[in-house]
Amino acid sequence: MLKRFFVAVWLWLKGAGIAVAKWFKNWFVKVDGKDIIPVRIGRWFKSLFVSTNNQPPQLVVLYQKDGTKSVLSSLLCVGAGIAIGLILLILVALFSKDLQANNVFRGFFILISGVFYTGNAANMSVGFDAFQLGNYLTRVTPLILTGLSVAIAFKTGLFNIGAPGQYLMGTMASLLVAMSIPATTATAQFFVWLLALVVGVVAGMLWGCIPGAFKALLNVNEVIVCIMTNWIAGNIVTWVFSGSQFVNPKSPGFLYKTNHFGIQNPRLGMDLLFPGSWADGGIVIAIVVAVMVWVMLNKTTFGFELKACGSNRHASKYAGMNDRRNIILSMAIAGGLSALGGALYFMNGQTEFQFSTTYQTLPSVGFNGIPVALLASSHPLGVVFSAAYIAFLEVAGTKVSSFADYNEYISDLIVAVIIYFAGFSKLIKDLLSTKRRKSKQVDAVQPTTQSKEA
Amino acid sequence: MQSQQTNLCTNDYVIEMRNITKVFPGIVANDDVTLQLKRGEIHALLGENGAGKSTLMSVLFGLYQAEQGEILKDGKVVRINNPNDATALGIGMVHQHFKLVEVFSVLDNIILGVEDTKLGFIQKKQAYKKAQELSKRYGLNVDLDAIVENISVGMQQRTEILKMLFRDNEILIFDEPTAVLTPQEIDELMAVMRGLASEGKSILFISHKLNEIMAVADRVTVLRKGKCIGTVCTKDTTAQQLSDMMVGRAVQLKIDKAPAKTGQVVLDVQNLCVKGAGNKKLAVKDVCFNVRAGEIVCVAGIDGNGQTELGYAITGLTNASSGAIVLDGKDITHKSIRQRTLQGISHIPEDRHKHGLILDFSLQQNMVLQTYFQPQFQANGFIKFQQVQQYAERLIEQFDVRSGQGVDTTVRSMSGGNQQKAIVARELDRPHKLLVAIQPTRGLDVGAIENIHNEIVKKRDEGAAVLLISLELDEVMNLSDRIVVMYEGEIVGRLDPATTTVQELGLYMAGAKRDTNKEEC
Repeated sequence: MLKRFFVAVWLWLKGAGIAVAKWFKNWFVKVDGKDIIPVRIGRWFKSLFVSTNNQPPQLVVLYQKDGTKSVLSSLLCVGAGIAIGLILLILVALFSKDLQANNVFRGFFILISGVFYTGNAANMSVGFDAFQLGNYLTRVTPLILTGLSVAIAFKTGLFNIGAPGQYLMGTMASLLVAMSIPATTATAQFFVWLLALVVGVVAGMLWGCIPGAFKALLNVNEVIVCIMTNWIAGNIVTWVFSGSQFVNPKSPGFLYKTNHFGIQNPRLGMDLLFPGSWADGGIVIAIVVAVMVWVMLNKTTFGFELKACGSNRHASKYAGMNDRRNIILSMAIAGGLSALGGALYFMNGQTEFQFSTTYQTLPSVGFNGIPVALLASSHPLGVVFSAAYIAFLEVAGTKVSSFADYNEYISDLIVAVIIYFAGFSKLIKDLLSTKRRKSKQVDAVQPTTQSKEA
Repeated sequence: MQSQQTNLCTNDYVIEMRNITKVFPGIVANDDVTLQLKRGEIHALLGENGAGKSTLMSVLFGLYQAEQGEILKDGKVVRINNPNDATALGIGMVHQHFKLVEVFSVLDNIILGVEDTKLGFIQKKQAYKKAQELSKRYGLNVDLDAIVENISVGMQQRTEILKMLFRDNEILIFDEPTAVLTPQEIDELMAVMRGLASEGKSILFISHKLNEIMAVADRVTVLRKGKCIGTVCTKDTTAQQLSDMMVGRAVQLKIDKAPAKTGQVVLDVQNLCVKGAGNKKLAVKDVCFNVRAGEIVCVAGIDGNGQTELGYAITGLTNASSGAIVLDGKDITHKSIRQRTLQGISHIPEDRHKHGLILDFSLQQNMVLQTYFQPQFQANGFIKFQQVQQYAERLIEQFDVRSGQGVDTTVRSMSGGNQQKAIVARELDRPHKLLVAIQPTRGLDVGAIENIHNEIVKKRDEGAAVLLISLELDEVMNLSDRIVVMYEGEIVGRLDPATTTVQELGLYMAGAKRDTNKEEC
């Protein structure tokens, strides 16, 4: 038995070895009439820039693809936003007697180095800091999910501005479950965590259904209902937790951390990658969910229906799709995603939920889902990157105020301007798509003067 | 051809488009096309769908810029970068697909962009008077206070024409203006066009209806697959000759069909009442008729007499307020659209942009709009993309749907006629017992019409029941086995195309004659 196993391994190794050897041989000698690999690589590089076999240069082909344009326009937005940020840094310094040129320089340096900035006010340095990066990832997690929430609603032709409310309801429901069910063993704690997560998502789905149902059944604009449900959620959360046994007596206005009850997100190895930080499996879950949303939208009949309803509600009705059901479902999924973001962020174990202010201030992570989705052109996988970028800016903003002596409001302003620029990606994409006119008319007469003559 | 032309005319060209070439990804829409428009003439531009007529006009109107060639106005080279430049040059266009703000009133649409203001307030009174006057003078009969989304397609078209007249344009481009008009209205429009031409306005008339061109145009330029085939005077040519020039082969203008072999009743409509838009009054009043397997029943009538609502009620887009619709012995009055589709109704909708297609989807996605969930395209909720693609490729091949990038083309970028062909392909290929075709050949050229008519007759001969709702008398007379005429929501006549005449049909359609027998109730 053992011998057969070794033989199999040996044969496999031998096969692999021969394949590798053949591949190496390909680098130097022509095999089967094919050119050697360096020549082929050279040809591939050439085809990138020069027309070959009647095909235009591959770079041009790549550029003409719709996806490339989306990515490019998003990158241009990021670049433009950062440039505007620099201008703001300079402008603010010009009108402030406390800020000098070195503040501007340091401010800009911090703005682009963000989470990789490991220095302080005195000396500037960059590097990988496991603690910082880990905490950064916990901030990215809810942003990915609220971004997905807004993006999936966009695909169905809806504007989900209700992400903050759904986020709060998800947080509330999952924290209530996590804190009220006592669990002592690790297994029990895991199941309580799982239950809390599921209850949170369901709460968010139901909360998202409200604007969806109003839109589908009564044709009430979803934005109005979303804004109202946001404030209702904010008030409910403060009311539910005020005076409850979950309030941490040491810091009034905040709840206990969930690890006080032994409940926290599984670490999935992230604590080993980023030792000492808050990093947990939430980021993994968020990315997996993003992939699932992408698959759902692009590969399934359900996604086909959602996109059809979003593009042309009349035609999808004509085709026999249930447009009302799809609108409600789309909002329910959007709500569930936002709620998952809240649940994952506050069941991290280390994070504290401030319930006392939600009736006045809705969580910005909900609203930031909108620029995240816009910057990603509502592409579920793009959302992962744009969420990472927006969270990066938030971190950079706090550092600009603490290390470069900028007022914290001004750093917020700069971040806000950059986020604002994220919304321009569609415009820039359209500009990229516009064909340049190849005019060969040399002595053309302007039509305005022409009409006057006529 | 060129020399003949110069002999015929002086050099008083108001517009010359010389050697225009326009390329889209994957397709040369115009290939070295030259078009010369004389002052005060009606010049027709004839060509199949996708021949490049609309593209050429869009170049003239500044919507596209040509890669090569030049445009001359009154003998001087001009550059038209956008529609504003074209408007400044006095060029006006009625588009094939209307450019109207749906939630605005007709008057608001007419003055849009040329509003007279005083202290920042729009002065509508004078505009109203002028529009009213124009509307009356040309018999356009447009209700200036109506909201555009509530009025019929025909009236929207007339609003577009009025809009152009309101701007006092001197060069008028009509992009298939007659596609939605009734025969009487077409005659009136032709009179209007002749009147305009005699006043010195120059008209470019895009059409593929040969009899209209023969009736109204002075000269015709024929395009085929982006190339200019030639310019001829209508005096010196015949409809058959033009159609052969356009298609590049001999075309059969009249359809051959065997007598219908009717089977059992497939669709039975009993005392059907349907409410109109806004739920104000009944658009369809107490209508009874049936369609049997193997026959084509045509609902004729002037636009806006309840035919559209009747079609929508049968296909499920609107609810019947009373009465019953029975398909194959089963009452489907309250069934959903999906259930009706699965029970065997195919539907070619009137408005291809609103209902028929999702313009931002690719051609292949549109081809499976109603069937994406069926086992051949779906497994465990996942779409089988390869099967979808193969299916779409087969339909494109079979129905000759032309597009820039094959099955991956965004439908929005396709020409109107090819969009319609795509819908027809999808609906005819789907298994069905009843085909509801509402204006199935709207905006199509003779070649495509011939093709679609033959396909519909083929479906009939295979035993399908066909309900055709059409505004075009030729189509009604040519294709139907029985005619039902609707006037103001009621059935006023049941005619046999073999024994009736176009004139008689016209009288029924105009409400001048009516039979009130309800034999099929």
